[in-house]
Amino acid sequence: MPHIEIEGLRIEVNEEGFLSHPEEWNEETARLLAKAEENLDELTAEHWAVVKFIREYYLEKNLAPMVRKMCQATGFPLMKIYELFPSGPAKGACKVAGLPKPDGCV
Amino acid sequence: MKRRKAGPSGVVEAPLDVRTQALAKEEERPSVKDGRLKTYEPGDNAARFLDLLGRRVSRSLAVSLTACVHCGLCAESCHYFLARPDDPTMTPVWKADQVRKIFKRHIDWTGRIAPWWVKAGTVRNDEDLNRLKNIVFGTCSACRRCTYNCPMGVDTGLLVRFTRGLLTELGIVPEGVFNVSRDQWETGNQMAVTEQDYLETLEWMRDELRTELGTDAVDIPVDKKGCDVLYTINPREIKFDPRSIAHAAKIFHVAGESWTLPKWGWDQTNFGLFSGDDKLGAFVARNVYEAAERLRVKRIVISECGHGYRSTRWEGYTWAGYDQKLPTESVVVTLKRYLETGRISVDPSRNAEAVTFHDSCNIARSGDLVEEPREVLRRVCADFREMFPNRRENFCCTGGGGLLSMAEYRPLRLEVAKIKADQLRATGAKLVCTMCHNCIDGLADVIKHYKLPMRVVQVLELVSNALVVPAKSEK
Amino acid sequence: MSEFLRILENEVQIAALVFLALVYAGRLIWIFRFKTRKDRTFAAGSEGAGAGYSLMNIAMPGAMESTRKRPGFYVQFIIFHAGVAAAIAGTFIIPYAPGVFEVRGIVLLFQAVIAAALVVGLLRLVRRLTNPVLREISSPDDYFSLVLLIVWFAAGALAVPNRPEKGEWPLILYFGLTAFFLVYVPFSKICHYLYYPFSRFYLGRSLGHRGAIPPSSTGKRTTARTAKERA
Repeated sequence: MPHIEIEGLRIEVNEEGFLSHPEEWNEETARLLAKAEENLDELTAEHWAVVKFIREYYLEKNLAPMVRKMCQATGFPLMKIYELFPSGPAKGACKVAGLPKPDGCV
Repeated sequence: MKRRKAGPSGVVEAPLDVRTQALAKEEERPSVKDGRLKTYEPGDNAARFLDLLGRRVSRSLAVSLTACVHCGLCAESCHYFLARPDDPTMTPVWKADQVRKIFKRHIDWTGRIAPWWVKAGTVRNDEDLNRLKNIVFGTCSACRRCTYNCPMGVDTGLLVRFTRGLLTELGIVPEGVFNVSRDQWETGNQMAVTEQDYLETLEWMRDELRTELGTDAVDIPVDKKGCDVLYTINPREIKFDPRSIAHAAKIFHVAGESWTLPKWGWDQTNFGLFSGDDKLGAFVARNVYEAAERLRVKRIVISECGHGYRSTRWEGYTWAGYDQKLPTESVVVTLKRYLETGRISVDPSRNAEAVTFHDSCNIARSGDLVEEPREVLRRVCADFREMFPNRRENFCCTGGGGLLSMAEYRPLRLEVAKIKADQLRATGAKLVCTMCHNCIDGLADVIKHYKLPMRVVQVLELVSNALVVPAKSEK
Repeated sequence: MSEFLRILENEVQIAALVFLALVYAGRLIWIFRFKTRKDRTFAAGSEGAGAGYSLMNIAMPGAMESTRKRPGFYVQFIIFHAGVAAAIAGTFIIPYAPGVFEVRGIVLLFQAVIAAALVVGLLRLVRRLTNPVLREISSPDDYFSLVLLIVWFAAGALAVPNRPEKGEWPLILYFGLTAFFLVYVPFSKICHYLYYPFSRFYLGRSLGHRGAIPPSSTGKRTTARTAKERA
């Protein structure tokens, strides 16, 4: 199984960089995923607002939220989500929030 | 010279994985229950495969299977082989031979009597079929570059799709293929977007656009009858990045277009092209054509998507057995018309960074659009430059053929993307423009993996950037 | 010449040709039993122009990147097939128009073309044996067909002077191999020339319908010209 090694810690991810075991996610994992996959050295309060919303939505509904919901919940316009997570809401924000890879040609 | 043993290079040996299929059966998912979506069943799948092969081979496929003279000219046209020149199993001829040998053994003549003489072979069990699955789904993006470079006109790209179709009928497919097929059968779109999400997203974009333009005259109509244009989109635009919908709506507004989206039948993408399932292809395409009929439009316009364009403009009519009645065009052609007739004006200085254009396989090689996007780009960009090779000789973004939905084949895909990376780097451009959503992600992966200082954009975005919106008093 | 050679040059060839024609007819019937599907879309180009362009492929080395990158390979192809044409022509000239080969210049021309084709055949055999891709995909038929043609070219080069009184064996070998060749061809890859019109027609018609081929004539450059442009 592929993995990323960062700051001495080893996280198991699938080939696309998404967490292999979503249930193992915690804030430290999020920080490390953001660094390794999105080149984000630190996560600001704005990043966390998005990540926390996604995480809670996923735990409740077992689905990735639509980007519209992310924008509504956080109050950020779509442009802002892309500024915070360069890979976008699916490949960037959802990945950092520890979700499994969404289906589809994405 | 190393003598390699015949057989897959081992670089894609994904096992037969039916976890989500088992889950779908357990959950009694409608598409599985009513048999639209086939699942893997233990049994004599090899015999079923051979039976399907015999029944489904068309005349053009039969000549592609018999006409190959093993000259090897196709080898260097394929990015898989160019990136792995020590691996003969990456050549189009080798990949095609994996199904050709079966045809020779069971349907052709000499191979039935003396199979060893013409290297005919067979499939004996599920392992053989799984191996074939890995080859046709995992080592080829069906880009048809080999087809264009074959002196005999052998269409290996089409052979790969055909073989995928046989395996799909047996449920021997990568998990991603099963999942996306299931979603498109059941929800009508590839990403399981619900009607509510679809409508709410469109409303959201409409509201943002109204704020941006400062007028309520701009709208994103749904199911409006009697318009000129039916606009169809990629579900990715709803689920992940609706900005492109807003771009289109803004341009339609400024151009004074009479247009609508349909409530059902809005998905122009078509997983049937990738899975080889003509029935799924027919279902999805027909949704669009019937929406156009229902809403009495004059023209179907397809948002930027490579396989969606090929499926909706070309293949879908044949799959669905539906005679084309309305002009069906890419939105890029619509934009070109607006520019040429002066319905919109643009300021190219707003797109100052160097832009290059990537030709999507399904639009250029399997379609008609090569000069049209360039004509648009030359008008909306200050610095447009070609990559080489280009047009119908361009290289696949490496994300084609549905590969983006198949995580197990990603490492090889990124390895052979070196060819594309080198090509992009040589242009010195900051932006690479493409007319296809899959190419966006395919190219984004290449850019990220090879650390290129570029980003990917679509034509709609560049036109929208350069769009000169007339002041309210002029309207 | 001996009666044996006369029959070999004549009746045996005709019998083999009739056999070939019958099997080819069967092959064509077999091909036409596979179905085609009607294209239901508005065309964006011309099916006729596409099919024509596609059929002309072997005469247009600049049309494909694969032949542009390997011009020597294309030249070999021309020489080899010119040799085939010459050697086949020889099997008709010798029994039915032997006066042609009384002209020394023509005999030398035929010998030169066939000998050149023989050299190309040897080069191709070496390639097939040593190139890893070709070794991986080649079947016994691929090797045998090539060897058969090489030996046939050798026999042909020696036989076209048409001097049975100086020794019949080159002619016997030449016509014997031709008869064998005619019977073997329909079951081998050698009859690719029968499929060529069909594979090129169907591909060309489909791509022509979509306006993908022929390429527009305004000289658009698809390949890199300078080192800077090259990846």
